[in-house]
Amino acid sequence: MKRTPVTMPVLSDTMETGHLVRWLKKPGDPVKKGDVLAEVESDKAIMDVEAFQDGYLSGPLAPEDSDVPVREVIAYISDEKPGPDSQSADETPAMEKTPAQDSDSQADDQSVDKSRDQSTNKTNVDAPQRTQESESESESGSEPESDSEQESEKVSVSANADAQAQTQKQTQSTDSISQAKASPYARGLAMELGVPLNQVAPSADGVIHANNVLSAALQGPAPNLDAGPAWKLHAFTPMRRSVAEHMQQAGKTPTFHVSARLSLELLAKQSKQQKHSFTLLLAQAAAQTIKEMPLFNAAYTPLGLAYRNQIDIGIAMDIPGGLVTPVLRDVAGRSLDELEQSWRALKQKAKQQRLLKEDYQGGTFYISNLGMFPLVDNFDAIVPLGSAAILAIAALQDGKASVTLSADHRVVYGADCARFLEKLNDKILGFN
Amino acid sequence: MSKEIFYWQALNQALDAEMSKDDTVFILGEDVGLYGGSYRVTEGLHAKYGDWRVRDTPISEGSFTGLGVGAAMVEMRPIVEIMTINFSLLALDAITNMATKVPFMSSGQFPMPLVIRMPGGVAKQLAAQHSQRLEQTLMNIPGVRIAVPATPQDAWWQTRQAIRSNEAIIILEHELLYFSKGILDKTAPAPPMHRAMIRREGRNLTIISYSRMSLLAEQAATQLADEGIDAEVIDLRSLNPIDWDRCVASVEKTHRLLIVEEDSLFAGAGAEIAATLGERCFYSLDAPISRHAGLDLPTPYNGKLEAASIPTVTSIKQAARALTQTENAK
Amino acid sequence: MDRSRLLAMLHDMLLARKFEERAAEEYTKGNIAGFLHLYPGEEAVAAGVMHASEPGDYIVSTYREHVHALIRGIEPKRIMAELFGRKDGCSGGMGGSMHLFDRARRFMGGYAIVGETYPVSLGIAYAIAMRELPEAVICFFGDGAVNQGTFHESLNMAALWRLPILFVCENNHYQIGTEIHRHSAVAEVYKRACGYRIPSRRVDGMDVLAVHQAATAALEQIRAGTGPQFLEMETYRFRGHSMADPGNYRPSVEVKAHQQDDPLLVAIEETLPYYPSSEEIQAAGHDVIKQLSDHMNNEGHLDQAGFDSVAKQIDDIIEDAVQFALNSPDPTMQDAWDALYCNRGEEVLI
Repeated sequence: MKRTPVTMPVLSDTMETGHLVRWLKKPGDPVKKGDVLAEVESDKAIMDVEAFQDGYLSGPLAPEDSDVPVREVIAYISDEKPGPDSQSADETPAMEKTPAQDSDSQADDQSVDKSRDQSTNKTNVDAPQRTQESESESESGSEPESDSEQESEKVSVSANADAQAQTQKQTQSTDSISQAKASPYARGLAMELGVPLNQVAPSADGVIHANNVLSAALQGPAPNLDAGPAWKLHAFTPMRRSVAEHMQQAGKTPTFHVSARLSLELLAKQSKQQKHSFTLLLAQAAAQTIKEMPLFNAAYTPLGLAYRNQIDIGIAMDIPGGLVTPVLRDVAGRSLDELEQSWRALKQKAKQQRLLKEDYQGGTFYISNLGMFPLVDNFDAIVPLGSAAILAIAALQDGKASVTLSADHRVVYGADCARFLEKLNDKILGFN
Repeated sequence: MSKEIFYWQALNQALDAEMSKDDTVFILGEDVGLYGGSYRVTEGLHAKYGDWRVRDTPISEGSFTGLGVGAAMVEMRPIVEIMTINFSLLALDAITNMATKVPFMSSGQFPMPLVIRMPGGVAKQLAAQHSQRLEQTLMNIPGVRIAVPATPQDAWWQTRQAIRSNEAIIILEHELLYFSKGILDKTAPAPPMHRAMIRREGRNLTIISYSRMSLLAEQAATQLADEGIDAEVIDLRSLNPIDWDRCVASVEKTHRLLIVEEDSLFAGAGAEIAATLGERCFYSLDAPISRHAGLDLPTPYNGKLEAASIPTVTSIKQAARALTQTENAK
Repeated sequence: MDRSRLLAMLHDMLLARKFEERAAEEYTKGNIAGFLHLYPGEEAVAAGVMHASEPGDYIVSTYREHVHALIRGIEPKRIMAELFGRKDGCSGGMGGSMHLFDRARRFMGGYAIVGETYPVSLGIAYAIAMRELPEAVICFFGDGAVNQGTFHESLNMAALWRLPILFVCENNHYQIGTEIHRHSAVAEVYKRACGYRIPSRRVDGMDVLAVHQAATAALEQIRAGTGPQFLEMETYRFRGHSMADPGNYRPSVEVKAHQQDDPLLVAIEETLPYYPSSEEIQAAGHDVIKQLSDHMNNEGHLDQAGFDSVAKQIDDIIEDAVQFALNSPDPTMQDAWDALYCNRGEEVLI
């Protein structure tokens, strides 16, 4: 019986591990070249693992909801249907290294070759730009880390003393969180600043560097959970980690809020009549407003304000497992039909967690709409880096909704926001 | 009084200056006399100083380098020119077994004011036998001092200092530097011969380099600044001894070290730099020390392959990005 | 030749012989270590040439140089101390048997890489020629060294620039264990120098008077600026190449070597220091010392009593040398660093 390894695919230039979301085939299932075997979440999106040949999926399979380094074997495709013996091997995950990986680690030694041959474009991996809304928002939707006994074991660590009795499996996953490698300098710094290294999130290379320690120190102390009840740690999914980090960065923006109650009833009616998305109409109105007030399309940089020549609006979306902000391009310059088409495509991709970098990066203005939650009568949002403001829309009550503009005070000021809301109101009413 | 001149001219003027002041200084080597030196370094000196002080030799590297040792033992100041470092392999006995061994084995009875000049490095398609670096071979000889001037100013300073010293000194020139230009200020006071120079100050990483590569590193650093990477560039100017204190201070400031050398990676000069600074700066390092060096490959004749076998400004920038962006990438 | 010169040469040769015998003994006692290459049998060459040299001449020698150093005038006790690796040795304990130096006596060193003496001599001679001084460099080497590249390179340059060098080949017919006909296409070494138009001749190296006469004549011309000359001294060593070499040099040795292809036997023998008995030395043929003492006896310069008294004097010198060496301290590591950086002076490097 010939067994060909299936490996964790390399899905981006920066990907080092992939999160195996789930298997779509079982061991013993016949597979054809091109069949999707599993779903993998990279730091960017969820992608398919395809079969590259015909045969039968055979184990051992890497466990679902686990992080696997790229190029490691996650399963095999055999040319015969595997017998019951190999089935039993499915219990243990395969973690063998493939030859390709060995040769790669050799290439690592030859850092010259690598750095010369590889594209220079080791990008600052922009994770999806996501806006954070209220707590309830990010908690909504079905979480992949539901509390089934089996799942929590894999990623949990218990603070109480009995924890030592836990299985080795747990210890391993604990190690991956608390025993990240740290540079010598980071270690010294951590000791000096009194930051426990096991509470410092490492960089993308998996190593704790000095700046990780510094930002941990600036964040203030981590909560002392041991004082409370026993707890279990759920490791971040890539999406959650990304949101957390972006919010952390955005938290440094000096923000203020201006609220108004706008009559949106007509807009809602129009949406129904014309079968256009309400959010889309709102975005268009905002874009028309921004066109007249280009300051709202600018971004703060240390050197000055960056005015952009196109209005790209990021729209927060609630999806299972988190939140994404697909960006609608050139909202002021395109027809409603064109926008509608783009928006549908983006929504579709977002629901399938198939958004690409170009789909979610680089918004110049943001909208967050919680109108579908009738009890929410007012909220404000956090201004994402790279934009001047974000518009938060609460539920419609008596034909009016509370609209809050959160803005970066380095770019726009209070009166600007007041004028913006007035103009926006005009635009919305102008649709009539 | 400063003006821009070629590197070879700086060497030529340094030799002339010392020869005119001290008649124990003499030059010997292949084609240094009537012909004027294969890279023009000794141009005009034969006419001025004659056969005995500017001596054309037969092609006998082993013996004429040993001649330099013998003459230095009786207080002459010989300057041996080996046409390229590749031929110095034939003179290694004189350099290794004699130049520093005689003063040592005699417990300090003999002076050794010997200067051995030679160009090396990858030039323009000279093929594997004529493109070697070999720094590491010479660095491993205790007591042999090695200067690696990268600019006309350093060529002027270090050549004169070497001639005046009573110790055996190798000056490693670079074939591609002879016709590079730079400012020479003859009135500027010379720093100590083996002191490293910080060519550019920076905060994000330290790039340590020498000879031609230090010029490339400086160019790379200027370009990296536009990307927000602020590199400090150290030109070692010397491979033995090495100015460790300046290197350590810089690494302690930037916490990241990239070593750029044209020499082959394996057991090259950079290996020594990485090892020592790894020992001395361990607790200051925020990332593993990175070496960017020539490939462990005889230099191919083909021009494209040749260019790809050693660091370039572009590849230095890539190596610097790789070293500094580990933490930004997320 | 006058009596005092003859007496001095006999004294020096006897001193050389007894010094080397004692060195062998001290080696077996463990007081001397490393490589020890001894000279017995070849004394006429060193004595004849050194007695022809002037204080202004320079001597460049090989790793078999104790006797050159002794006859050049370095005190026996300072040589013995060097063999012992002590601080009071003529090289401060940094050189050892193969690297004796004495700048004051223009003894420019023993060089242990075969073929190095030529370029060193070349450099010194170049300096002499540039300064136009009436001095010469005496460059020693063995027959095994004439196939080294530097031999040809240096003879060419010496002839080309008419450098004041007396090349002295101590042809003992063996390159360690390889007889000259098995290592050289042209076994008459002096003929090789002819290829570079260097005046050259073969001399009976077992006859100290012949050696002295030839060297004196050559050196006078060289100091006068006529360029290099070349003397091939035919001689032989009684002992093996070094203390580690059993070295029976007679023709039977080759037969024996072929019989003893058993590598184990060879290995065992090589670990045993060997020194021939006086009977063995006599059986080997003419002994240079006996030859000279017989000659002086015949000329009426010296009787047996006189010879015995010289021998006794020398025994005392050697005993003193050994005691001096034993009492001399080891050099310190600081001495080693000082030796390496001896020429740095006040120079600031960094």
